[in-house]
Amino acid sequence: MEEVLFFIAAIGALGGAIGVIAMRNPFYSVLALIVHLFSLAALFLLLTSAFVAAAQVVVYAGAVMVLYVFVVAYVGGGGESAWEPIPGQRFLAPLLGIALFIELAVAVLSSSLLALGEDGPHVQAGFGDPAAIGRLLLEKFLLPFEASSILLLLAAVGAIVLASNRRQENA
Amino acid sequence: MLSIADTQLAEATWIMVVKSIVIFAVIFGVLPLLTVLERKLIGRFQHRYGPNRVGPYGLLQPLADVGKLVSKESFRPENATKTLFILGPLLPVLAGVLSLAIIPWGDVQDGVGLYGIDVPIGILYFFAVGSIAFYGLLLGGWSSGSKYSLLGAMRSAAQLISYEVSMGLALLGVVMMSGSLSLVSIVHSQGEIWFILPQFVGFLIFMLAGFAETNRTPFDMPEADAELVQGFMTEYGGMRFGSFLLVEYMEILVVSGIAAAMFLGGWMGPGPSFLDPIWMLAKMLGLVLLFIWVRATLPRLRYDQLMSLGWKVLLPLATLNVLVTAILVVVT
Repeated sequence: MEEVLFFIAAIGALGGAIGVIAMRNPFYSVLALIVHLFSLAALFLLLTSAFVAAAQVVVYAGAVMVLYVFVVAYVGGGGESAWEPIPGQRFLAPLLGIALFIELAVAVLSSSLLALGEDGPHVQAGFGDPAAIGRLLLEKFLLPFEASSILLLLAAVGAIVLASNRRQENA
Repeated sequence: MLSIADTQLAEATWIMVVKSIVIFAVIFGVLPLLTVLERKLIGRFQHRYGPNRVGPYGLLQPLADVGKLVSKESFRPENATKTLFILGPLLPVLAGVLSLAIIPWGDVQDGVGLYGIDVPIGILYFFAVGSIAFYGLLLGGWSSGSKYSLLGAMRSAAQLISYEVSMGLALLGVVMMSGSLSLVSIVHSQGEIWFILPQFVGFLIFMLAGFAETNRTPFDMPEADAELVQGFMTEYGGMRFGSFLLVEYMEILVVSGIAAAMFLGGWMGPGPSFLDPIWMLAKMLGLVLLFIWVRATLPRLRYDQLMSLGWKVLLPLATLNVLVTAILVVVT
């Protein structure tokens, strides 16, 4: 059962990710990204992290992607731009992509493949439930947690400042 | 065993299957009756009889309606995107049925929990599943290839994200008071007092956001028929249109169920424990009546009023409610 679900979710994640860059119509790209995010949530669920899976769906699929869909459906597909925004992008992008792939392949081949025959780590009861994650965030990782929340607050304030400046110019 | 299911209570697979079928059958038996109830009550509110021709008291009206919807042509506009147009009504039905699973109908009796599943993430599951429903509506609106559908879908997109935040914050107060996300534990912690009293503000915000999330008057902006025909449903006909309607009633039931479990003490009530599911259903129906009553009473809001109510009134109020509750929970 878990193996079947894993392969369904893995195919969904990979297919969605490929779909994002392969689709011509930006609306379909966004839909493919949504499929990808839902598949990732299913993978988190298989890793006994129900909370992370729910957060993934609520935050990314539920809120962030809604904004993407909103923008794409309103603005519509403008088609591909005729010129390259960054000179040489057409040649640099595949090279950098291949480099990243080789790096990830080395990392995966050297560590994860060795663990294939083993049982995997032992998961204790309560792992990944909201209480455990809350305790980790507010005790062990308090400083990074607070730092990232300040960063988010700054971003929110910045967005409001930028938007209100533009409104004054228009008025 | 998948980690989403409750690990403290292991049930045989056949019990889970039977439970799913029973919940499904009961809800789908109640849904058509709700449509009659709503039409009859709206009729009374407006000084007319409402449906009373088909069957005794018009009770067989939904059967006739479904017969009509099924026999209609499944029309699809020429410039609609075929696959997405078909997918549109499917996703909300899926989400509605999925979210029925966490509504608690009773405690564990004879080793069988009278609920679909008791997930540790509890109420987060409701929000996660709810976001699937939203995509169905948006896909339906976009793929119809009609400006009314697109505008209706876009309006509902903006409306849903605006009100989802307040809805989540409104429930956070209850979660903090009971110290658990699981709906079953939340009902258990209401033994002394129902959370509607200490969390009355939360209840009001949740119900208001619930009206908005289910696209009901006074927030039925996405399908404002005077300006948008039928919003995202404009191009749908036959049973595809029927399933959008069905989902609306299912969502009303789900929101009522969540509200009953979180604020009204869930299955608790006088009498022996086999009455628990009846109490739960009665509380849910009470809230459904509230939905119908509000629809008959209030006019539709203007779109900018809806947005400013969501962001400038409900959201600050919900945040304040969470802050005050947090301080009180820590102090006591």
